[in-house]
Amino acid sequence: MKLALTALTTAILLLSARVFAHHSFAAEFDAKKPVELKGTLIELEWVNPHAWIHMEVKDESGKVTKWDCELGSPNLLMRSGWRRDSLKKGDVIIVNGSAAKDGTNLANAKTVKLADGTRVFNAGSSGEPGTPGAPVQ
Amino acid sequence: MRWIAILTVWVCLAPVHARAQWLDYPTKGIPRTADGKANLSAPAPRLPDGKPDLSGLWLGDQWGPAGHRPNPLGNARPSPPEMLPWAQKVFDERRANSIKDDPEARCMPQGVPKASTLPYPFELINAPGKLVMLYEMYSLRREIFTDGRELPKEFINPSWMGYSIGKWEGDEFVVTTAGINEQVWNIDLAGHPHSDVLRVTERLHRVDFGHMDILVAIDDPKTYTKPWIMPMMRYTLLPDTDLLEFVCEKNIDPQHMVGK
Repeated sequence: MKLALTALTTAILLLSARVFAHHSFAAEFDAKKPVELKGTLIELEWVNPHAWIHMEVKDESGKVTKWDCELGSPNLLMRSGWRRDSLKKGDVIIVNGSAAKDGTNLANAKTVKLADGTRVFNAGSSGEPGTPGAPVQ
Repeated sequence: MRWIAILTVWVCLAPVHARAQWLDYPTKGIPRTADGKANLSAPAPRLPDGKPDLSGLWLGDQWGPAGHRPNPLGNARPSPPEMLPWAQKVFDERRANSIKDDPEARCMPQGVPKASTLPYPFELINAPGKLVMLYEMYSLRREIFTDGRELPKEFINPSWMGYSIGKWEGDEFVVTTAGINEQVWNIDLAGHPHSDVLRVTERLHRVDFGHMDILVAIDDPKTYTKPWIMPMMRYTLLPDTDLLEFVCEKNIDPQHMVGK
């Protein structure tokens, strides 16, 4: 299983940052506003056109804030090795991504890992639109 | 005790079941290398009439792990679009707004040829009198008529995916599409606009078993000063898998899309 996940991670890394989804990344998220969120998973919501990570993040004062993190579509995630039960309610996770431009507690997830760092999934929706036929970075 | 035995067998079989889904169901009758993998460099298959068989699941190279193959030179060299003033203005506004008003963000269809440029596979299926094109994203489909008909003179019902006919020119399958409605907002990811007279020509060439090129020409005299050719789109076959359903069931992005 661990070997499979390692292979998976490698495959997913190759896909990273090129996984454009159904909307312009730059219209919604700010690549210059990176966020790192460590918290507890409320739900991995498995819906098209984007799966979502809903999580609770506690700050230094103990205040809990709810964050919604956008992933790629379930179809893209499945082809990258994710399954709808890859994360479970209560899992402590670390999400790295970009914050929404509108200032809400919304982020585009680039990487998701468990607190022990063993599993890293990298399948967000952060690609930039480009010209068809050209690599989209 | 018997229950434990049954449970043990079930637990042992469970991972096999988990792997035996249609994400990785082996495609029958395709050329394979000694290690059992699909032989993507085998010759392109042929139909009984000798024409190349285009059927299969295809994914744009830039979305796959291998990345985009370099484009061949020669007549496949793209020609950049020269927009009429209104189109240039629209295009510039869209770029300044990060393409936030693309109806695709509201789960509307992408139109032709943009639908073929997205990070989801499409499947080509041969049928009598037509080639059927199924797009995974939004479960869109096109029928490309091969029964000898011409494009209609008038389009009484312009549509998102337009009206397509296909003809063979040697080993190239040439698809001409018109009747694309003006709700289709952009013909590519870059945000280029179009008008009601848009005519798209897609030249499909299955290079070998595992690779296909599509060269797209855009002819729209109300939008561009002259016809232009997009950078060649290159596809790799996805063997041993099937299309997945894609229904845009919960879309919360538009309310957060501020653009600039």
